[in-house]
Amino acid sequence: MTHHLNRRSLLKASGALALASGLAAPSILRAQAATVKVGILEPLTGNLAYNGTQCVAGAKFAVEALNAAGGIKSMGGAQIELVVADAQSRPEVAAAAVDTLVEAGVCAFTGATASSLGLASTQAAAKYNLAQVVSIGTAEAMVERGLPNVFRFTPGVNKCTTVALDNLRLLNEGAGSPVKTAAIVHEDGPFGSGMAKILNERLPGIGIEVVETIQHPTPQRDFNNIALRVKASKADILIPSNYINEYTLMAKAIRQQRVELMAIYSILGGAASNIKFVRENNEVAQYVMDCNHWYDPQKPASVALAENVAKAGLDLTYDVMVAYASVQVIADALERSASDDREKMIEALAASTFDGSIMPYGPTKFVNGDNVNSQPVNTQIRGEKIELVFPKEYATAEAVFPMPKEG
Amino acid sequence: MKPTSMGQAVLIAAAVLYLVSVFFLSSPIWMGFSLNALIIAVVALSWNVTGGFGGLFSFGHAVMYGTGAYASAVLQVNYGVNAWIGLVAGIVAGAVMGAFIGAITFRFGLKGSYFALVTLAFAEVMRICASSFAFTGGGAGLQVKLDPGISTLQFQDRTVSYTLLLLVVAAVMILTAVMKNSRFGAYLIAIRENEDAARALGIDTYRIKVIAMAISGAFGGLAGVLYLQTMLYIDSTVVYGNAISVEALIGPLIGGAGTVWGPLVGTLGLHLLGEGAKHLLSNAPGLNFVLYAVVLICALRFLPQGLMGFAARIGPFRKKEEDDDNA
Repeated sequence: MTHHLNRRSLLKASGALALASGLAAPSILRAQAATVKVGILEPLTGNLAYNGTQCVAGAKFAVEALNAAGGIKSMGGAQIELVVADAQSRPEVAAAAVDTLVEAGVCAFTGATASSLGLASTQAAAKYNLAQVVSIGTAEAMVERGLPNVFRFTPGVNKCTTVALDNLRLLNEGAGSPVKTAAIVHEDGPFGSGMAKILNERLPGIGIEVVETIQHPTPQRDFNNIALRVKASKADILIPSNYINEYTLMAKAIRQQRVELMAIYSILGGAASNIKFVRENNEVAQYVMDCNHWYDPQKPASVALAENVAKAGLDLTYDVMVAYASVQVIADALERSASDDREKMIEALAASTFDGSIMPYGPTKFVNGDNVNSQPVNTQIRGEKIELVFPKEYATAEAVFPMPKEG
Repeated sequence: MKPTSMGQAVLIAAAVLYLVSVFFLSSPIWMGFSLNALIIAVVALSWNVTGGFGGLFSFGHAVMYGTGAYASAVLQVNYGVNAWIGLVAGIVAGAVMGAFIGAITFRFGLKGSYFALVTLAFAEVMRICASSFAFTGGGAGLQVKLDPGISTLQFQDRTVSYTLLLLVVAAVMILTAVMKNSRFGAYLIAIRENEDAARALGIDTYRIKVIAMAISGAFGGLAGVLYLQTMLYIDSTVVYGNAISVEALIGPLIGGAGTVWGPLVGTLGLHLLGEGAKHLLSNAPGLNFVLYAVVLICALRFLPQGLMGFAARIGPFRKKEEDDDNA
């Protein structure tokens, strides 16, 4: 008996197959290992793409490490699945990307590199009761809105500035107070302008007079005039607040124009804690100091992260570190809540006392969404490395201040 | 606003169908995407008044958008003024800014690329000013407190926000159509076609162009306020940045400058293309922009009169003499 395949039978067969696949699907899903979705919202395109891409890399390393260690044990070893969304370096896109994360079913997410992006994304996430562990977002407005879904893990601009100025005072006094005057060079956006305002207010309090404040747009490609103005001001120390490209160009111009400074001391500096800057501009970068986010290099997880980053051929930047740590914080909350319910995640994060992250922080304690036990550290570029010089308990090298004349 | 050909009718129907379908998709992604697209559509409609009907190509329409947003934000944040009054203030501030730029540039006879560059410069100056003064929040920007309610012009349910935005877009389009069919619209189009001839016919070209800038500014200011009330946060780069100026002109250019539906069709089309490319190439961030750019270049090369101009040539009920302007 022959059987001819005509259009009708083909349709019937296709329909039966589709039905069978549809009915079979749940059992297939049940057979797979349980997963729990965690989001990461970062600028993967646009002018912050480098930082955002680094953050995603850090989060992926964290997820790999956590999954390799058995996943979320309270949820039967559920594996973490990272859902990545691109904020395109634009606040309105960051807010819209939260919708993508919600539709993907994430229980919480981390991000978003710049305060403007974080302000938009946290607000959008608040409408869904979705927790955001803010990896980097230094603007204090982030934690001043009373949003219950905001958990800023890293320090804000006020704490960074306070610690940085305390450390600068200690360094200066330790060297016999040679630094009397400062020049500030800052970008004209939220980060640089805010920082310049705070510095102008607080530097006189530690005995340093601000003799020049220069602002520039981002991008800015010629820093020679700015370097000459710094030179003319005869400032003892330069405090820059700008992003990586401008920071690099500024440092080069300072060297080319032979501006004699006792130190380049940045707070949340764009390049000063960036190994790319050290590698590509080694001579210019020597002895540059920064007060920034940084991990505790002594912890075993930090050592493993550094190895994995090197193996992957990536730069070990603070973006990688804070994203890694933020995923650790979310994983701890998942472990305690034993659920991927959004509201339970908010409760678990609000009660977080996690002290196992790679950062040099005390146990997590969120007060109005701000982790009061976070702290920035001081780094200094020495040779091919970025050494941690403050606080002493985490230090890998002694600070050199002021920098040697020919350095 | 009536289509002149089958092609235009199809384009308009597709746009309307999409906008209505958002209500039934129940997808937060599409809702968020459509909210953004509609806000940009209002800026595009704003640019269309001067760029499309008047031939006054502005490269700095963010100046009206930003001024509207900042006017409302400053009043709400610094002085506790009601958001609805902020809305009116934003529209008025945008109109005043438009009229001011128009008055000084047209007084000195600037046109074409000179006018475009001056508008660009104004946007940049305003960006720097907004990031420098304390009352505009300096570099940190301004943030309106999250407080959903009708009186604060903030809506918890985004379907309500979307419905209101749709009504605003419809109102702006109706006003555009009324303007276009009025004596004023005819004067403006005459200026676009040949300003010297229009002046020779007795049209006060200076006055007409300044009024057009004021109307455009009002629409731009309105768009800025809509953005503020949606995002509740602005800073100088966000609202005075080049990205807004580019989005303002690219939608009408692709959709069809000098038409009522063109800016909406172009903006929706471009945003859908961008979103589609993003989903298609989600594993390679940035590649979506390449695809977007290629389509954009092709559209500019092969559709000089935009989608509406192209569509006007398709279909049975075309009136040749009205091809370009009647949609």
